[in-house]
Amino acid sequence: MSSASVRGMVRSPFVLVVGVVLTWFIAAFLVWPNVNVLMATFFPDGSFSGRAAEKLFSSQRAMKALGNSFLLAVALSITVNLVGIFIVLVTHYFRIRGSRILFLGYASTFIYGGIVLAAGYKFIYGDKGIVTSLLVKVFPGMDPGWFSGFFAVLVVMTFATTTNHMLFVANALKGIDYQTIEAARNLGASTWTILRRIVLPMLKPTLFAVTILSFLTGLGALSAPQVLGGRDFQTITPMILTFTNSPTSRDLAALLAVILGLATILMLAVMSRLEKGGTYFSVSKVSSELQKQEITNPAANIAVHVLAYLLFAVYTLPVVLIVLYSFADGAAIQTGQLALGNLTLDNYVRVLTQQSGLRPFIVSVVYSALAALIAVGGLLFVARLLQKYKNWVATAFEYLLHIPWILPSALLALGLIISYDHPNPLVGGAVLTGTTVILLIAFVTVKIPFTLRMLKASFASVNSSLEEAAAIMGARTLYVFRRILLPLVLPAAAAITALNFNSLLDDYDTAIFLAHPLVQPLGLVIKANTDGAEGVAGVANTFVYTVLLMVITGVTMYLVYGRSSRGKSRKKRLPAVPPASPVPGPGLPGTPVSTEDAAQPAAPVR
Amino acid sequence: MRKLQSLVAAAVAAALLAGCGGAASPPASSADASSAPAGGSGETLVVYTNSNGEGRGEWLTAKAAEAGFTIEIVGAGGADATNKLIAEKNNPIADVAFGLNNMYFSQIKAEDALEPYTPSWAGEVDKELGDGETYWPLVKQAILLGYNSDKISKDSAPQDWTDLWTKDEFKDRYERVTGLGTATAQLVFAGILSRYRDDSGDLGISDEGWQQVEQYFQNGSPAVAKTDLFARIASGEVDMGQMPSSIIAEREKSFKVNVDTVIPSVGVPLAVEQIALVKGTGKKEQAQKFIDWFGSADVQGAFAQQFNSMPVNKSAEAKANPEVVDFFADLKQQDIDWEFVQENMGAWVEKIELEYMT
Repeated sequence: MSSASVRGMVRSPFVLVVGVVLTWFIAAFLVWPNVNVLMATFFPDGSFSGRAAEKLFSSQRAMKALGNSFLLAVALSITVNLVGIFIVLVTHYFRIRGSRILFLGYASTFIYGGIVLAAGYKFIYGDKGIVTSLLVKVFPGMDPGWFSGFFAVLVVMTFATTTNHMLFVANALKGIDYQTIEAARNLGASTWTILRRIVLPMLKPTLFAVTILSFLTGLGALSAPQVLGGRDFQTITPMILTFTNSPTSRDLAALLAVILGLATILMLAVMSRLEKGGTYFSVSKVSSELQKQEITNPAANIAVHVLAYLLFAVYTLPVVLIVLYSFADGAAIQTGQLALGNLTLDNYVRVLTQQSGLRPFIVSVVYSALAALIAVGGLLFVARLLQKYKNWVATAFEYLLHIPWILPSALLALGLIISYDHPNPLVGGAVLTGTTVILLIAFVTVKIPFTLRMLKASFASVNSSLEEAAAIMGARTLYVFRRILLPLVLPAAAAITALNFNSLLDDYDTAIFLAHPLVQPLGLVIKANTDGAEGVAGVANTFVYTVLLMVITGVTMYLVYGRSSRGKSRKKRLPAVPPASPVPGPGLPGTPVSTEDAAQPAAPVR
Repeated sequence: MRKLQSLVAAAVAAALLAGCGGAASPPASSADASSAPAGGSGETLVVYTNSNGEGRGEWLTAKAAEAGFTIEIVGAGGADATNKLIAEKNNPIADVAFGLNNMYFSQIKAEDALEPYTPSWAGEVDKELGDGETYWPLVKQAILLGYNSDKISKDSAPQDWTDLWTKDEFKDRYERVTGLGTATAQLVFAGILSRYRDDSGDLGISDEGWQQVEQYFQNGSPAVAKTDLFARIASGEVDMGQMPSSIIAEREKSFKVNVDTVIPSVGVPLAVEQIALVKGTGKKEQAQKFIDWFGSADVQGAFAQQFNSMPVNKSAEAKANPEVVDFFADLKQQDIDWEFVQENMGAWVEKIELEYMT
């Protein structure tokens, strides 16, 4: 690409400003703290020892757990895609009866996760679960402990992590030009062929991005294996957490984390390579909105309907039970005995009348909202540039921005503390520990890789000819960005913001080390009220907090995503093309015209 | 290049301005409370603890306010609080830390993050339970092996931890831990491994000692995340497991089970929760007054009454639950060389996690 040269890049003032701020941010908050913590970990006395590697590689348990984590990561990358694509097609592509209800069911993963989700599945399929009890009645010889081990973990995590598909793949699907599909149909293509040759190829950048996320989720699996893995399927994350907490074993934790991190980066490299060179946007001049497809084969139609509603049940049952159990007492939750007569509001009264009251909720909402907005706002520019300029500088930046994926958040937090507990020139001589900014910085940094991946994928599906047209008419870089690109990626950006916000709400790992003592976020309060050592009420509190968080995150998703997607469908296909500006642009160095795109085939159909 | 530098400078300046604007002022660390009467200066003391659950934090904040102290409790698990105190030692945020046991505090002391202070009540406690210099004992907790007494009679119950894996009737009937991150689990192993001290053995423990650990993991039923041991006892999955003394009464009631505890002939390990002054605090005098107040017989007695704990302060025993006091009076404490344990615990945990946990 002629536009991709490094020299072309630095000629644009826009690129320069973004580049300089980015360089500083990466150096100050991604590289320096983590280099510090890794140095302190691997070179405690100034000399390196191979101790950590030796210990780890000779430990059968560590190797098995590591193997399990990788197995889960690979398996999840496949299963999440299968289920994810299916539910996206069912809700957005095919004409299915009750697809709105189905959507709500599948969307339940937007609002909860973690240990409670695993517990929810256990209530249903575990040895004392509802479904298991039914099955045992039908098949008396059945093992009530059937739902455990790798299979159970994979099933639960597959259904728990289709959130990204529902948001981003669905969003990308809406961007497909219907005329291409109609044309293919007129040429005699079957439903299946259209799916395989037109629809799925257009979704590729987004699918690659969500595949990386699924892989990462599998590698970092924690609660599902703990609850359902049993003796035979334990993963590496619990070990990493234990070792992170023990100063003398922290090198093992760091080494394990780096191994997982490198695997993620490798995955990223493979996906980037696969993604390269394709055209993932509609190039038709007058594109039209996607219309839902009828499944013509009646047998297939029935099968898809049945499957869709089965999945709906799988998705919604745990949520229903979690909400019900949140009204039961802790002993009932743990012994799995639910009696409708024993449901009371006691748990909610206890949680909501605490001395701290609503304050931690507000603190968390403010922190999470700020961090989510800053991450997405800042990275909009960065993702755009990385997507546009494909040279070694851009690639280097891109990989550096993934550093937070490599280390567990506790180590990131420790790195920030040891780097900024004294006046540091990188931040103008300020001391950051003990301030309220340091947690915000940590929140922003941990969300960078996810935000960047998803934003980049969404920029990749924007038709560059719109931008070129605007540039030819004299629009300046920022104007093009604001009036053309932004409206097109806004739905995705809003969804990312909402997801970031949701995931930060109950953060504990970062906040425990960095929170200002007078401004403590929700995660710390939840931990204090739900830790194993906190009595029977602790488990009940976990459920109450989960339901309360479901409410907050549900509202967020509705406000941000629900509304923006509807707004989008109204204005769809009418990107705000700026009125031809009579002001002659200054040579428009920032928007070099791509020549290669024009040479691409007219549709991504090969 | 020069242009780039000035741009960097500008960006740094801009970001800092933005940062400062968004930041509330750090906790006043320069001010001192020298002129204040007992508490009452209005300054907020930051108190780190792992003992804030089940209403303890709120109780303490309210009582402290009555006594004229404004405190802000920052709760964290024992290991988290320890790591936090160590990580922050160059620019401490906490003024006082309490609730952590001697193992954690000796780690923090080794990192030079504690300030020596002798509280006014030092004469009322057994100095041996703390280090007699920086951290001082508040509450005693016994780490016990408990069993379902509805199912197992005292005669047929195990007599010691080692019975669990040497006698067939207990195999797979006891819960074993799945991680050594908690203080209770570490203390159980401190109690077992200490018996097999052998300076020529691996990490100071004889081969026989390590075999015990191996057997413990091979024959136990792994703990289930988010399912309390008492819940598993109630449902009959297991009959016994480790438990700190303070939780037993309350859990028995919640899960409607009866539990009796084993007192091995070597005694039981005691976890002693301590209090200490954080080195480098800007509110030293105020913090010292708080320590004097919190450890006093009055406050410890009230705390024990409220939370069924066993105070170390002898004058506070009168107010504590008599059953608890009697239990501890009869209890044989295991003689453990805590210095040896503290030195090796990190390595033990690592070895156990890597080699023996299955």
